[in-house]
Order: sequence, then structure tokens, then C-alpha cells
Amino acid sequence: MEPSIFFDEVNERQGVFHRRTFLLGGFAGVGALALVGRLADLQLVEGPRYSLLSASNQFNFRIVPPPRGRILDRNGVEIASNRPDFRVLMRRDETKDVNASLDKISQLLPITDDKRRQLTREIANAPKSTPVFIANGLSWDEFSRVNVRTPELPGISAEMGEARFYPFGGAFSHVIGYVSKVSAEELDAVQASGSKPDPLMLHPGFRIGKQGVEKSLDLQLRGKPGGQKVEVDSGGRVVRLNSDGDIRATPGQDVMLTLDADIQNRALEVFGNESGAAVMMDCRSGDVLCLVSAPSFDANQFVGGAPSAYYHALASYDHKPLLNKALAGLYHPGSTFKTMVTLAALKNGFDPKRTYTCNKAWPFGNHVFNCDKRHGTLDMHGAISESCDVYFFQTAITLGPDKIAEMARNFGLGQVFDIGIPGQKAGIVPDTAWKKRYFKNNPLNQKWFAGETPSMGIGQGATVINALQNCTMVSRIANGKKAVSPRLIHSVGGVIQAPTEPLDLGIDPEHLAFLHAAMTSVANDPNGSAQADAKLGLGSIKMAGKTGTAQDHTYKGGHGAHGAQGAWDLRDNAWFICYAPVDDPRYAMAVLVEHGGFGAQAAVPRAREIMKVALLKDPEVRARIETPLPDIHAKPPPMPDAASASSGIDVSAPDPMPVPVDPMAPQ
Amino acid sequence: MTSSALTSPGQRNLLSEKVAEIDWRLSVLLCIIAGLGAMILYSAAGNSWGPWADKQLIRFGLCLALMLFLSLVDLRVWFQLAYPTYAVGLLLLVAVMLVGHHSLGAKRWLQLGPVQIQPSEIMKIGMTLSLARFYHGISAREARFSWKLIVPLALIGAPTLLVAKQPDLGTALLLVFTGGAIMFLAGLTWRILVAGAILVGVGIVPFITVVMKGYQRDRILTFLHPEQDPSGAGYHILQSKIALGSGGLLGKGFGLGTQSQLNFLPEKHTDFIFATFAEEFGLVGCFGLLMLYAIIIGIALRIASISHSHFGRLSAAGVTFTFAFYVLINAAMVMGLTPIVGVPMPLMSYGGTVMLTVMIGFGLVQSIRVHRYEEMPSGRGVLF
Repeated sequence: MEPSIFFDEVNERQGVFHRRTFLLGGFAGVGALALVGRLADLQLVEGPRYSLLSASNQFNFRIVPPPRGRILDRNGVEIASNRPDFRVLMRRDETKDVNASLDKISQLLPITDDKRRQLTREIANAPKSTPVFIANGLSWDEFSRVNVRTPELPGISAEMGEARFYPFGGAFSHVIGYVSKVSAEELDAVQASGSKPDPLMLHPGFRIGKQGVEKSLDLQLRGKPGGQKVEVDSGGRVVRLNSDGDIRATPGQDVMLTLDADIQNRALEVFGNESGAAVMMDCRSGDVLCLVSAPSFDANQFVGGAPSAYYHALASYDHKPLLNKALAGLYHPGSTFKTMVTLAALKNGFDPKRTYTCNKAWPFGNHVFNCDKRHGTLDMHGAISESCDVYFFQTAITLGPDKIAEMARNFGLGQVFDIGIPGQKAGIVPDTAWKKRYFKNNPLNQKWFAGETPSMGIGQGATVINALQNCTMVSRIANGKKAVSPRLIHSVGGVIQAPTEPLDLGIDPEHLAFLHAAMTSVANDPNGSAQADAKLGLGSIKMAGKTGTAQDHTYKGGHGAHGAQGAWDLRDNAWFICYAPVDDPRYAMAVLVEHGGFGAQAAVPRAREIMKVALLKDPEVRARIETPLPDIHAKPPPMPDAASASSGIDVSAPDPMPVPVDPMAPQ
Repeated sequence: MTSSALTSPGQRNLLSEKVAEIDWRLSVLLCIIAGLGAMILYSAAGNSWGPWADKQLIRFGLCLALMLFLSLVDLRVWFQLAYPTYAVGLLLLVAVMLVGHHSLGAKRWLQLGPVQIQPSEIMKIGMTLSLARFYHGISAREARFSWKLIVPLALIGAPTLLVAKQPDLGTALLLVFTGGAIMFLAGLTWRILVAGAILVGVGIVPFITVVMKGYQRDRILTFLHPEQDPSGAGYHILQSKIALGSGGLLGKGFGLGTQSQLNFLPEKHTDFIFATFAEEFGLVGCFGLLMLYAIIIGIALRIASISHSHFGRLSAAGVTFTFAFYVLINAAMVMGLTPIVGVPMPLMSYGGTVMLTVMIGFGLVQSIRVHRYEEMPSGRGVLF
């Protein structure tokens, strides 16, 4: 075979190959070294950073909502608490086909078409990582039915959480409010204020306070969410729970109110179907014991989102169950205002012995003012006791509006009190300055007209107040020394909310004694306007008070008449302010029955029933009631009887078996 | 020494003699790397033999048997099959263009009955053999610079263009690197090398803007700015770096790689298996693994350099550098040093095709060792 390539050529090819293989191999080696350098950079220098990134890939925190703080009455009775709630959630990032999952779940739970549409919308709008409630408030049966099927339902889980629960239903709804789902506006408001929204607010189980204490102390009640550390894969599915890394939720703080659940419940009860408000205070401290607005509504219905039919029924009812009448309902005080006219008159040297004669009608200017009946000649005591308007028309005229208004304001009328919940309306205690302010665009009306003063003297005209103010007024009357203010929040998280130190009332004790006597007469004397129903039947414990029947509409054109006449919404508003016991005032109350007619008929019996609960709950008052009663069923004094009683027991007992004495037994 | 050894030194005709000449160190190292690969596949599947590790081990077993068989195939048979293999490969590449099977937007597969064929893999062997075969037949001077170099350029260019058209950028790149390496080793003049390097440098921009598909361009852009789009195209690189970096010095431990186990690492069992390995075994493990690869490459280059025939030298070196390019490109890609080009880590990444090609290549290398004293017929007269 002829070699076609010469040796030197072959050697050259081989030599070139060796050199260049070495070169290229070396090049690859340098490349490998560069890679090792890069590895060292990534794994050693940047290692900690990438370890963090890896951990943040691996672990997520699921928000664990804290239990909401309870709301308690003054004796620790729960008036807002949490109950276990069985619910079904869907996690969108774990659900491939939302519709298929909903189809399956609706075979297990009743889901209406409306609800289905609403859910589809909610699921579409929810952030991917936050679960959506498919259903809550499930029965155990429904819950377990879903729970056993969850393996076939990706992304669906049946869980137990806590839901707000108001054990008394409606009795406290206006005071403590209710919680409900966070609205878009509330989220926007938090964002607008510049702070980051609490991640808790995005949790579907979270409920935010919408009204009352739930709203005003929402942050304290809310608590701090915990975190459940979970290991997730790249799709966000939970692979493992890691209980070591869990952050415990901080429960919300308990809030204790000054309210007394027994009094509150009784107050709502006595209103029956009537509309109105009842506010009771401890006139020594200002503690609000009862703050009821009737009719009420079941706050529990709002926790899951009020069914729209229920809400519309409430909103369209003319008795206005959604309005807190005790704070936001403004009414003419009517004759209850005569207490203020009385004190103003006495302060300004008015002689209470002075008499006026009531002929029912009393002409003034070109107008005729009317009284309930022909009271005849009365002094001030009698005029209060029998609630004669004619007397107070003329008393008011001797005083003028400014002095009455000054006294009324001293007693809390026309004021907003800091009781820790929103929604109070100040009302109006008119005087000449108020008229100038109020009619600043209408110069003709800025003048105080003479005809307005008699109306003001009987708590009509421009004068409007709420029941809390009226209760504060009667508390200050009953207290006599201190201008106590209402206090509703007793403690938050165990920290007592100290009441503001009340100012001295600065009223002559003689004047107060006069008023006390007159108010006692109202409720107890044969001529007293409230005597028919104001007797407590609790022995020496007596109540004092003042009725009011406030005209709410003009009677002209056949629109009703004084008292409970005509259509419901044209009738007079019935008031009764009272305190008890008269000789040791403790409890002061204002009761309003909206369109209830005469105060004496509609308000007084209700006030009496509520007052009796407060008095009977007070151990000192109870002691006074119980000791003087002759105990006809009492046994003879125990001391001489004790011996025979014990011997009787001995007799009835079987004789003990005689124990044979064992002669061998050691003695 | 047998009589045949005396008359024709180095000739080994008996099967037992041939088997004894197989490089067992090389075979064992290949088994070790494949074993490590199966281990990582077991871990990536959540500590389970299925669905990857078991299949991969069976595949490797078959490929190992094939390699041992090919080791015994006479080098002259390889020599004779060089151009036919290339021709078949080229035909199949054209066929893929026309009737290829679509997968992930690329035409790469050819379905022949039950078997899926990826002609570009046949081409890796065919081109290497053909280039070696061609250079075997020309002189050193001609290999330096002559009109005959049109032939290797065509041998490299035709399959590269067809593969790039599929598009399979990774394989095209490997074909160019392999062909270029063989031309370089055969003695191409430095002037052409420098000129070629300049040409590539100038041509890269129009190539990226005109020839490349959208997703390929994205990969390049993502490579340049990986942090810009962490959940989109940059996700792969970022998660891969997190896996590598969080491995630290010693790794998270076997079966404990969270990036891979929790699926944050994409392609954890194929292209990014090195990141999976790095997460669990750390820098120490990675260094060890790269050392194993380096030793394999060193042994294979040593085999190339002791071959008596130029064909043996060049084809062994071609196979070896292809293997080295695989390792370097894949590792660099996983570390975010190069764009993502879809080059697997040979012997570790899950998949049969590349393993088959690599093991056929090592079968060739072993055959060159076994038949290292064998003289090849002159290149002239067969094709030129």
C-alpha cells in the first residue's frame, strides 16, 4: 500500500493535534475553574442571601385571626362573645376549576343560584392567596358531609373558626353595635390614612365593628393576628404544616360596660311593640346601667352579612328599629323640662308659694295656650305634682329663655357626652343667642318672640333633647351635689376607664329639696300626675319623678289631639323621668315612649318595672325592703328550738347496733 | 503476546484481548455519574424511584451495554460508516423539516413506528466521524488552509442550519463547537480562527435580531437582566440561582432540597438537574462532580492522543469536547452565566436521547482505545 501521506506530514498532524488538544483541554479546564469560582461566589459569598430567598419560597404565613375580645356587662355577663362556627372555604390558588368545585359543593350544601353568582364574583375578585367563604354557620351534619369529601374537592376545606355571637340578640344592639364584613370603603379609608391595612382585614373570617362599642373600640377588641407557618410548593399549595414556627394570635381585649344585663333586658322587654328609649344611670357615679332603644334588631343577623330582606324590613319599619333613639332620637322634653324651669325660677328668687289659676285655656298675645285640664289655683309644688302647663307658661315668662336655658345646660341638656360610642345628637336648648346663631341667614327670625317663652316653659317649641340627656338631668337632680356625667365603658382589657371627676352642681340644697319633694309628690300623692302607676310596692322604697307628654305634631286640621289620639305617628311622645329611692337616690332614669300618648300612662308603668329590677338587684336596697316585713311563716327563734330539733334527728335515726365488747381487746 | 501481536504489533484480534483493553476506569466513572444522576432524580421526585430514577437507570444499563458492544467494533467499521451515518443523519434532518413531530413549538422528532428519532443526535456522531474521516485523508498543510476546507465547512454548516431552523439552538451551538474544535485540532491556521472569531462577534447582533425566534430573544434579554422579570422569563434563572446559592458549602442534604422538592426550580430533573444537585450537596458536592467530569474528559483525551490513526485521534477528541461542552454550557447556564439554551447535563439529566448519543460517543472512544494501534486505510480514494 503506497503511503499517500509522508511521515513528516503524519508527525506534523500528530504534533499539531497534541499541542492543540492540550490547549483546548486547558481552555476547558480554565472554564471549569471559572465555573467553580462562580459556584463559590453563589454558594459561599451570596449563600446567606439565597438561603433567605429559598426560605421565603418555602414558607408562607397563613393568618390566624385572633379571638375577638368579649363585651361584658358590669357583672361580667357576656353580651358579645364568640361561638364556634363551621365554615367551608375555597382557596383559589389550589382550585383549578372553580366552577367544577362549586358544582360539587352544591351537591353537598344548599347553594342558591343567587348565592352562586355572588360567590363566583367574590372568588373572581379575591386576591389569589386569600380564601373565600363558600358557606358558614353550618350545622355539624353539613360540616362533616363536606369534611369527608374534601380529598375530592381540591382547594375546598371545611374549617372551624369563631364567629361573633350576641347572646341577648337585640337587647344591646344599639349600644354594642355589631360586626360585619369589611367593606371596600373601610379598606380605602385605611389606605387613604396612609397606613398599611391590617392583613387581618383581608381575611374572609374577619369582621369589623360597624356601630356602637364594636366600632369605637374595634382596635382594642380586634387583637393581633397570629401566623401559621406552612410549607408551600411553587403553586402555593400547602405541603406541610410547621407548628414550630407558628406565631400565636393575641386575643382582643375584653371590654366591660357599665350596663347591667338584667336591667337592660327588662327594659327592652317592657317596651313590647312600642317604640322608645330608656336610659338608667347610677346617679352617684354616672354609670349607665341601661341604654335601650326599642324596638331593636338581632345583631347576630348582621355578622354573616344581613339578609337583604331582613335589612329592608328593618329599614322600612316606621318604628325605626335601626335608630338608636336613646342617643340620636331628639324629642321635645315636654313637662319633664319643668324641673329646669323650677330650678331656674327658684334660683332667680321666684317664690314657690306664688299661685296661678289654671282655667285650662290661657290666652297670651293673639294665641290661646291650653292645659290638660282645669287645674284651678296651684302653687309651684302643686303645679309640678299635677303638671299644670298654665303655671309654667307664666313662670317661664317671668324668667325669660336665657335663664331657663342656662339651668338646662347645667343639667346636661343640649350636650354630647363622651360615653365612648358614636352617634349622639346634641339637640337644642334654645335661648336668644341660639336664635341669632340658628337664623343667621334669616334676620327676621333672629328675634326671640314672646310667644316662644311659654312653649319653652313646658319643654316644647324649639327645645329638643335625647333620652340620655334627660337621664343625665334627672341623675344630677337626684344626686343634688355633683354634675355626674354618663359613663358607659367600665374597663378595656382590665384597665378601668376612670370616670371624669364630676363638677359641683352649685344648686342651693333648699331648691333641690323643694324639687325632690315635688317630684316625690308626682309619683306618690293622690293628685300626682304619675301616682296611678309609679308606686313600686317595695315598702319604704319610693320613687320620685316627673311625667311629660310632648306634642310632636300640630293638632290643627284634625291631626290628632293631646295624648294617644289618632294615627300612631301623630300621637304625643310620652316621657317619665324618675329616681329612687327618694330618701337615698341611687338610680335615675328617663323613659321615652315614642307616640305613646300620655307620659303617665305609657311611660310611668314601664319606668316602674325597669326601676324595680335595679332596686331589687341592689343588696342594700333589698335589705331595706326585706327586714321590716313581718315574716309570718318564720319559725320560732332557733336557739331554744335547736336542741329539740337535733334530738328529733337522733330519735328518728335507727339505734346503733350494740357493739359487743371483746374482752380480749386491748383497752 | 500472541503471534498476531508479533506480526502486526498492537493488533488485537481475540475478543478477550479486546475486552481487556476497554478502559475500565472510564466505564466506572461513567457509571458513577449516571448513578449520581439517578440519585438526584430519586430525590427530585420526592424520594421516589418513579417516575424518573428507575427509568433512567434502566436506560443507562442499556446504553452501557451498547457502549461495551461498540467498544469492540473495529475502528475500520466506524471509519467506513462515517459518511453513510452523516448522509442518513442529513436525510433525516431534512425529513424532520418536512414531516417532523411538533413538540413545544419546535420540530425535532421523527416518529418511526413506535420509536421517536431525534436526527440531530445522530448528526452529532455522524458529523464528528465524517470530519475525522475527512481530515484523516488530507495533509497537515491542507488542513491548515486550503480550498478543501470548504468540505468541513459544509459538513458543519448543513446540519447546523437545519437544526437551528427546527429550532434547537442548543444542539446547533454544540454542532458548531464540536465542528470548530475538530477543525482547530486538525490544524486550522490561526489567522482563520481570529477572522472567524471577529466574524462571529460582528454577526451575533443581526443573528439575534433577525434569525432568532421570540422566545430565544427573550432568553438572551432575560440573561442580560434576570432580575427584571422574576416571575416571567427570569424565573428560571432566579430560581436556579436560589437553589444553587442556598446549597451553601455542604448543601441541604440528600432529599432535602426545598427548591426542587417544592417545584420552585423549573426543569429540576432535566436541564436544571445540576441546580438540584447543588442545592442538596453544596459547593463540595459540585466541586466533586465537576472533578469527576474533568477526569472523564482527561481520560478520553488521553485515549485520543495515544491513537495511532488520525481518524481515531480526531473522532475521540471530537466526542470528548462535545461532552465537555455539554458540561460547561449546562453548568454555566444553571449558574446564570449563559442564556438558557436547553443543553442537558450529560448522563445526569433525565432523558434517553442525549444519554444514548453520549454513550455511543464513549463507545467510539473505547473502540479507539481498544483499536489504538490499528492503521486506517488512506483517506484518499474513498471520497477524495
